[in-house]
Amino acid sequence: MAAMQADRSVRQILQSAAPIAVAVFVFGASFGVLAVAAHLPAWSVVLMSALTFAGSAQFAALGVIAAGGSVLTAIFAGALLNLRFIATGIAVTRSLPGGRLLRSLLGQLSTDESYAMSVRAGAPGRPDGQTLLVTGAFLYTVWVIGTLIGALLGPVLGDPKRLGLDAAFPACFVAILWPMLSGKHAVRCAIAGALVALALAPFTPPGLPLAGAAIVGLWLAR
Amino acid sequence: MAGPVALALVIGLAALSFIMRATGPFLPNLPAAITERTSGLAPALLAALVAIQLTGSHGILHLDVKVPAVLVAAVLAALRLPFIVCVVAGALVAATLRAVFHL
Repeated sequence: MAAMQADRSVRQILQSAAPIAVAVFVFGASFGVLAVAAHLPAWSVVLMSALTFAGSAQFAALGVIAAGGSVLTAIFAGALLNLRFIATGIAVTRSLPGGRLLRSLLGQLSTDESYAMSVRAGAPGRPDGQTLLVTGAFLYTVWVIGTLIGALLGPVLGDPKRLGLDAAFPACFVAILWPMLSGKHAVRCAIAGALVALALAPFTPPGLPLAGAAIVGLWLAR
Repeated sequence: MAGPVALALVIGLAALSFIMRATGPFLPNLPAAITERTSGLAPALLAALVAIQLTGSHGILHLDVKVPAVLVAAVLAALRLPFIVCVVAGALVAATLRAVFHL
C-alpha cells in the first residue's frame, strides 16, 4: 500500500463517498421494501444484498420474480447486468494487493461507484486500490444495512425520489466522468460507450448495453 | 416464495456475480495489450451509465428531472467544484423540481 501513488487517508476517502453512501443506503432500503413486497422472505432479501452487492443485478432478478418468471431466468437476468464486472476486474487487478486468491476476494468490493471513485483517485490507467477497497467496504455496509431496514420497515418509508436520490447516481457518474475527458482517447471512448449503450438498449436485455459499452471502451482505448 | 427456492435464487445470483468479479483478479498476468486498454473502460462505462439512466430501456431521452440534475452536475464539475457539491446539487435540483412541479 505504501507505493500507492495517491495515498489518501481513509477519512478523506470516506468523506468523498459520503453522498454516494446516502444514495446507496436509500437504494438498498427501496430494494428491501420491493423484494419483501414481491413475497421474498426477508432473510433471503438481506442475504442477497450481502452476497451479491449489486443493486442493478438484484433489481433485475427481482423484476423477473415479481413478473412471475422462473428462478433460473431471474439468475440469468441478474448475471447479465454484472457482465461488466469482468472488465472492471481486469482494470483493477494491478491495483489490488496480495496473490490471486486475495485479489479475487478483494475484487468483490468493485461496484460502479467504488470503481469510478478509484479511477478518479488513481493515476491514468491505474485505479487507486485503497480507494476501491475503502469505498467498496463503506458502500457494502450501508447497502446491507439499508436492505435490512427496508425489508423490516417496508411501506413505512417514503418515496426516495422525493429527495432526488435517484438523480444522485447519474450526477455522481457525470461528475466523475467530466475530469476524465481530457484526452482525445477518453472523449472517443465516452461518446462511443454512450452511443453503443443507447443503440443496444431497445433490443437487448438490461445489462448487455453496459457490457457492450465496456467492450467498446476497451477497443477504442488506444 | 418458499425458503429453499429463495435460497436457490440467492446462491445462484451470488455465485455468478462472484465469478464475474473474480475473473479479472484471478487471471494470471494478462497480456499488456489487454491491460493497457482498460484506461478506455471508465469513460465508456460512465458515459453509458449516464445515458442509460437518462433514457430508460427505450434508448430515447426520457425528459424527467434527472436531465436537469445531470446538466447541473456536469456544469459544476466543469467549473472544478468538489465532487460532493456536484452530487448534492444534482439531487437537490431533482428534489426541488419534483416538489415545485409535482412531477
